[in-house]
Amino acid sequence: MNLDGIRNEAEQAIQSAQDITALEAIRVKYLGRKGELNKFFDSLKSLSLEEKRTIGPGLQKLKLDLNEFLVKKIAAFQAETGMQLSLDITMPGKKISVGHAHPLTIIEKQIREIFKALNFSVVEGPQIETEFYNFDALNIPKGHPARDMWDTFWLKDTRGKERLLLRTHTSPVQIRFMESHKPPFQVIVPGRVFRFEATDASHETNFHQVEGLMVGKDVNLANFKFMIQEFFKRLFNRSVKIRFRPSYFPFVEPGLEVDLECVRCSGKGCSVCKQSGWLEIMGAGMVHPRVFEAAGYNPRDWQGFAFGLGLERVAMIKYNIPDIRLFHSGDLRFIKQF
Amino acid sequence: MLFSFSLIKKLAPGQYDKKTLIEKLNLTSFEVADAAGDAMEVAVPPNRYSDAASHLGIARETAVMFDIDLKDEFKKIKPNIAKDGPLSVKVMDSKLCQRYLATYVAGVKVGSSPAWLKEVLEICGIRSINNIVDVMNYVMLEIGQPLHAFDADKIQNGIIVRKAKPKEIIETLDGGKYELGKDMLVIADQNQPLAIAGIKGGKISEVTPATKNILIEAANFDGIATYTASKKLNLRTDASIRFSHALAPELARLGMQRALQLIQEVAGGKLFQTTDFYPKKATTEMLTLDLEKINRIVGVSFSLVQAVKTLKQLGFIQEKKLWRVPEFRPDIQSIEDIAEELVRFYGLNQVPMTPPAVALGSAFEEDQLVLKDKLRNFLKGAGISEVYNYAFVSEEECQVSPVGVFGYQSPVPLANPMSIQSAYLRDNLAPGLIKNIKDNLRFYDEARIFEIGTIFGKNQKGEVQEKLVLGIALAAKQSVLELKGLIDALFGQLGFTGYSMPDLNLDSKALHPKEALRIETDEHEVVGYFGSLKGIRHGSIAELDLGRLLKIIEEEKEFKPIPKYPSVMRDVSLLVSRSVRVGEILSLLQNVSPKLIDNVDLIDFYEDEKLGDDRKSLTFRIVFQADDRTLTDEEVDREMAIIAKVIEDRFDAEIR
Repeated sequence: MNLDGIRNEAEQAIQSAQDITALEAIRVKYLGRKGELNKFFDSLKSLSLEEKRTIGPGLQKLKLDLNEFLVKKIAAFQAETGMQLSLDITMPGKKISVGHAHPLTIIEKQIREIFKALNFSVVEGPQIETEFYNFDALNIPKGHPARDMWDTFWLKDTRGKERLLLRTHTSPVQIRFMESHKPPFQVIVPGRVFRFEATDASHETNFHQVEGLMVGKDVNLANFKFMIQEFFKRLFNRSVKIRFRPSYFPFVEPGLEVDLECVRCSGKGCSVCKQSGWLEIMGAGMVHPRVFEAAGYNPRDWQGFAFGLGLERVAMIKYNIPDIRLFHSGDLRFIKQF
Repeated sequence: MLFSFSLIKKLAPGQYDKKTLIEKLNLTSFEVADAAGDAMEVAVPPNRYSDAASHLGIARETAVMFDIDLKDEFKKIKPNIAKDGPLSVKVMDSKLCQRYLATYVAGVKVGSSPAWLKEVLEICGIRSINNIVDVMNYVMLEIGQPLHAFDADKIQNGIIVRKAKPKEIIETLDGGKYELGKDMLVIADQNQPLAIAGIKGGKISEVTPATKNILIEAANFDGIATYTASKKLNLRTDASIRFSHALAPELARLGMQRALQLIQEVAGGKLFQTTDFYPKKATTEMLTLDLEKINRIVGVSFSLVQAVKTLKQLGFIQEKKLWRVPEFRPDIQSIEDIAEELVRFYGLNQVPMTPPAVALGSAFEEDQLVLKDKLRNFLKGAGISEVYNYAFVSEEECQVSPVGVFGYQSPVPLANPMSIQSAYLRDNLAPGLIKNIKDNLRFYDEARIFEIGTIFGKNQKGEVQEKLVLGIALAAKQSVLELKGLIDALFGQLGFTGYSMPDLNLDSKALHPKEALRIETDEHEVVGYFGSLKGIRHGSIAELDLGRLLKIIEEEKEFKPIPKYPSVMRDVSLLVSRSVRVGEILSLLQNVSPKLIDNVDLIDFYEDEKLGDDRKSLTFRIVFQADDRTLTDEEVDREMAIIAKVIEDRFDAEIR
């Protein structure tokens, strides 16, 4: 084929190319190291100086022209598709500023979602309470050493003649809710509580609980066991073992403590569960008849279960957080991990 | 409370080791932990002090648990001399002292205790004194009844149980001196107090090696009175802890009986007849065994045979159709209590899992919770992270926010704070947020945080109140304007449009007075504030009253029709003095012809030396919109001309 033939053929191919990949193939075919034009250049070596002078410049011009056609055609394609070949996609992504919810918020929300799916409503209550709601109505009488189970922050001010305090548990909301609602119902109550105690890696003056209360004609302990097993299964996203131990809380009878099989060591014993294989996670029981009475119910008509869960404790177990004080540190290096 | 494993096993003999017992007690009775050697630590629940704060009680639990027989160690003791001792007993207050047993023992031999006795005391953490005192303590450990022995020859004319006289002073066995209160009960003779009832014995009548005759006391003292006295005196003893939990009066009789048996064994002497002051016998509860109710509470089916067996083992006595609760179980008062006894020995972990039959009702969440969720989602999306701060602050940290913005008159002090730094309840979120920002700027160039928390304060009537507040704090270039935009966007999301942001005009410790605005509704109700922080470069803060916001957005939501006619947009650029505030121009522009102007926004702003000294350039975008027609260019031009004229006149502006 002569040079004009190649020129026509190549030009036509470039014009009718459908995309950049096709152009690259054309480039290789004509301008590549083993392409059509190089074959001509190679053949020049065997020609006389005279012949080289006649063919050489034409060959050179053809090479430049084809290159130009290709560049133009590529530019046309880029204009069409808006593609920028200069961007290096392997560069790091642009930093997007994202906010983080507090881990206790995340856990609380998760717990609420689970209980809502189990048809529990969610309510809240005041953090400043009267002695009546925090203690007396919950069958924790004045002057009884059982009160020592809850070290209390008292306020200087009173409400009428009632002494005021910072609630030591979310349980007063049991009474408040029952005063204004008729069974059957099931609710949970998340919220902040306070204890007058020295702080360390596992004790805080300010912490959070989720209270649960289910009341009906025949809501029983076996129902509680079902509910709570279901709850932990969903919270940890797998089946987890729980066990009950008898315990004493004046506002429940029978009263019990729920232990969770250690999620770190699966019950084998480790530093998290202090080698016991179990983690104390919640206090619970059947609502004491005197609590029903205090709320204005007839205890012969109703029965139900109540439980209390420490949010910090759950978060510490779930995220392996070693020190409870981190939750109130305000340290973004901690919060941004969630 | 420490216990001796060997003594428990002696009282409830069976094939079990210490580890098994501890494990089983934990799952059946209460928390028990292993301790060194023979000892184990039992957390006796506050309602079980009458029956379980003793080796006998733990042995009783053990016997029922393993289905074995309890060994009866306790013989009835007859007096050697069948008459009352030479000392009389007079109880003046039978409310605070329900029962008082006293036995005169003549001619005891005071010496050291036998090894078996000393050993049990040591395991339980009690120091051996002499055989008399040791027997008293041993019986307390074994039976659960605190006892006291007086040197009978130091008592003048008999025992009087009475309330202390004002400012009466007693020197206790350990040499401490206590001023007593008039509500405290003492054991006295005709001259002086010999012991603080149920708490501690006095020095004067102490049993010493020289003691010949003793008076043994086994009494029942009121729980609340003992608890209160012990707290007031700051004197907690093994005896006071037990009496504080309101012991069963029956324990006193058992304790005396056991003490006399052991005193004879280890110290000899002649026993006089025991006097027993017990005017009003404690009643024991009679309960029906309503198995159907029990099964309904627990969710299992106990058989009658099963239930009867457990109750009998626990010491319940059947009387016709009723069951008499044992005298040492005052904690058992209702069918629920019996249910607990049955289910614990049956095994709490044997209870099945049964899905409840629930009446369908739709679960709801309180509005406040829904609002909090919305805010958190929005703020998180806007790149702001959430913090939690303590509810306690120092006095200086109160009223850091503009005073009065939340309607509080004064802060709420704690009666028993942990420290001066935490003596008050926070009445604003600012101090926590400011501290968080400062702390985080050590590690980050910028910080953006928020907190949703409760604040506390007293209103004008002095009533203590609490409110839910959102606080946002930022540290970044021009952060106060970012904060302002954030609040606008947040309100937009919530559908709250009827608000304005006038100058703060309230005192504030934390804010730059010239860079602070309050946020109020069109009815001039203050919802919150925001502004630049003093002391933190590029720092700003906002607080919003969520209770008020919640009320407002509940009322606000109303659909506005989408405009039918196209809008017309015009930009106007002007040069004004730097002292002119954009807010004033904006509000003027919005009000020039409110019917036609839909929106005004600042779209460009710069200050430059080239503009001449003290001048800034502003570009506003004005959106014109009519509800009933498409606006013509002529109409808009006319409006723009008016606007230009007003701005030129009012702000000495140069339209460009």
